[in-house]
Amino acid sequence: MDARMTVEECLEMWRNPYPRLARMREEGERPVAFFCSYTPEEILHAAGFTPVRLMGAVRTITHADAHLQAYCCSLARTDLDMALAGELDFLEGAVFVQTCDTMMRLSDIWRRNTSFPFHGDLVLPIRMGEEISLPFLVEEVRRFRGRVEEYLGRSIRDDALEESIHVYNRNRRMADRLYLLRRERPGALDGLSATACLVAGFWMRREKHNDLLHHILEEAEAGKEKAAEKLPLLVSGSVCATPDLYELLAELDAEVVDDDLCCGHRYFDAFADENISPEEALARRLWQRVNCPAKHQCLEDRAERLLRQVGDSGAKGVVFFLQSFCEPHLFDIPYLRNRLREELGIPSLVLESELQSFSRGQLRTRLQAFLETIRGV
Amino acid sequence: MSSGENRDEEREAKERRRIKSGEAMRDLMTKYYMEAKAAEGTDKHIAWITSGGPVEPLIAFDVIPVYPENHGAMCGAAHMNVELCEVAESRGFSRDLCSYARGDIGSAITKGGPIGGLPRPTFLVCCNNICNTVFKWYEELARFFDVPLFIFDTPFVRGGLPSHHLDYTRRQMEEYISFLERITSREYDEAHFVEVAAKSLYASGLWAEVLACNQARPAPMTCFDAFILMAPIVTLRGTQEVVDFYQGLLQEMRDRVEQGIGILPSEKYRLLWDNIPVWYEMRNLGRLFMELEACLVADTYTSAWTFQEVDTEDPLEAMAAIYTEVYLNINLERMADKIESLARRYEVDGMVMHSNRSCKPYSLGQYDLAKEFTRRTGKPTLIIEADHTDSRWYNRAEVEGRIRDFVENLL
Repeated sequence: MDARMTVEECLEMWRNPYPRLARMREEGERPVAFFCSYTPEEILHAAGFTPVRLMGAVRTITHADAHLQAYCCSLARTDLDMALAGELDFLEGAVFVQTCDTMMRLSDIWRRNTSFPFHGDLVLPIRMGEEISLPFLVEEVRRFRGRVEEYLGRSIRDDALEESIHVYNRNRRMADRLYLLRRERPGALDGLSATACLVAGFWMRREKHNDLLHHILEEAEAGKEKAAEKLPLLVSGSVCATPDLYELLAELDAEVVDDDLCCGHRYFDAFADENISPEEALARRLWQRVNCPAKHQCLEDRAERLLRQVGDSGAKGVVFFLQSFCEPHLFDIPYLRNRLREELGIPSLVLESELQSFSRGQLRTRLQAFLETIRGV
Repeated sequence: MSSGENRDEEREAKERRRIKSGEAMRDLMTKYYMEAKAAEGTDKHIAWITSGGPVEPLIAFDVIPVYPENHGAMCGAAHMNVELCEVAESRGFSRDLCSYARGDIGSAITKGGPIGGLPRPTFLVCCNNICNTVFKWYEELARFFDVPLFIFDTPFVRGGLPSHHLDYTRRQMEEYISFLERITSREYDEAHFVEVAAKSLYASGLWAEVLACNQARPAPMTCFDAFILMAPIVTLRGTQEVVDFYQGLLQEMRDRVEQGIGILPSEKYRLLWDNIPVWYEMRNLGRLFMELEACLVADTYTSAWTFQEVDTEDPLEAMAAIYTEVYLNINLERMADKIESLARRYEVDGMVMHSNRSCKPYSLGQYDLAKEFTRRTGKPTLIIEADHTDSRWYNRAEVEGRIRDFVENLL
């Protein structure tokens, strides 16, 4: 298949993954939902499930308001709304990783008000990357595996889990190549296409996604670079539930050259060690990967990394794209913006997203004004 | 009878109902804040700590603990927190962040508030058993003051407390002790720590007994009084003064129960309160409930500082367990059990829940808890929308109207 068509299909999925997910069961797959990039997907994968990511949807809330207040992020609200409306009945279950206070409570609310056969929880420490928390996390991963096995009524074989780890590591290596290509030869693969190809992996079996990435990389790496003078930007935040931000930036002649997103760079950062026990390998990866702001490593790790990414990618500006009411991200905004401004002279823009009142027009106006400031128009 | 005599009688009745220990508490807290402020710039160590954090090691190491949340409540009650929040907002902090955090950051910058801000910390201690907001807030404080931050990480508990949770928190208690040894250049004295921990537990036991006095009819206090009277157990548990104070308060409460002195002129309904108080609105809400003859006899907040008896064989492990299983760090079913138990013990007619936009772990799940509460007890609930210290989110007319409707329809 032509790479263009593949990218187009990925984009289509990003706009609305749900019709495809709804067909999975008929095609013999067993989709289990996850929300958070800290989910040890390999365990689900090895158990024969297809982990699929729920990232919210642009919709009016009708059911979730009876369970979640309006000051809760729209990811939690729209995901719960879809579940309560019966629109996610194709799922066999869901996995809740305790990253933030909202996810911690959402797990209980979800379990109490839905009737999916499987429900999994994984508690994370907030102190990541410090020796003291590693044994805890290894044990949590082990218990999570036990929970899945209990549900299956059989054990997950170590070699199956090792194979899944291998499949996911291969995926991460290719995602790295994809990002490198985008950064170093933006003409060969634009930011919108690269991100669409990555994000599409949330809604298919990982082997299939590996084939997809392989195909895209072969074509793009061999293809000719088109000369394109676009304004390089970096996007930082949580998830982009829709491709709108990327599409608008492309329309406005800007190019996302790197990101600090939980549906982007943070998702595939770090490999699981294939030479140690699978639980420890999975735990260690989560523990040492780039932090979500809902986790703590040290005081300046996020700023250091962001500054380095901006420097390496040559971005001329940073767009912070957040969910309204997302405290972990909102707390970091002032110091991240200050450091970008004071140390690199890099301007930034903060955009908040609420999926139940999404306005593409408003987004466009604010991006346009920001880009004009950078360009000095 | 002349109207003058009437007024005299009313004054006397009011005086009889007034809780006298309030003065001792104000003296205790004033002395504490004055000492803490005076210690600024001396070689005494001052630690800012979260309200649910293990304070006993600080007391044992002779460090002055300072509580931004208690200060936030004070700023809120003094109607001064909004201006402090605005300072933080002008620095880029979103209005959707916890107003305790915003107000505290504002106060750190301007030294504003009723007591001219808190004394500068020499280090920070943050425990996330009450929420995950606190470690983001304390990260910001650590950057602002450029001081060390110790995070005591208490992973969320579903069902019973698993052993790997306890291993993790136990090891952090040891790490906390080493951290304090390093910072204060003092050695850990286990005997002294056990003494402090025992006082803390004893005071918390007294506090539990004080709260239990409200099972009597009429109730000798409302939970709004408890919100004020809990300041010492939150800030200074582990010291002798706190033990003395709660002994005095318990005696007063017992006397009141014996003499049948209620806090309200008349108590027709008994209600349970959920969530942090609406600090800037305590007076108005207190008046309203009094007028409606509804006594808030118990709440889920003040009982967070009543610790169960523990084994003192391994005091660090005992502390680790206590601090991990607090009310906000457990699943909804366990919370429902606690609420149900309060409702039965205090014989309430219904529950008022404050949906607090500053506090997600306390508020998300309230709709389900409300339903569960009614299912288990047959009693109604009312959910009011507010924020603990940012009054800009509060609509007095609407909230008061809803409270009136609710109480008037109680059976």
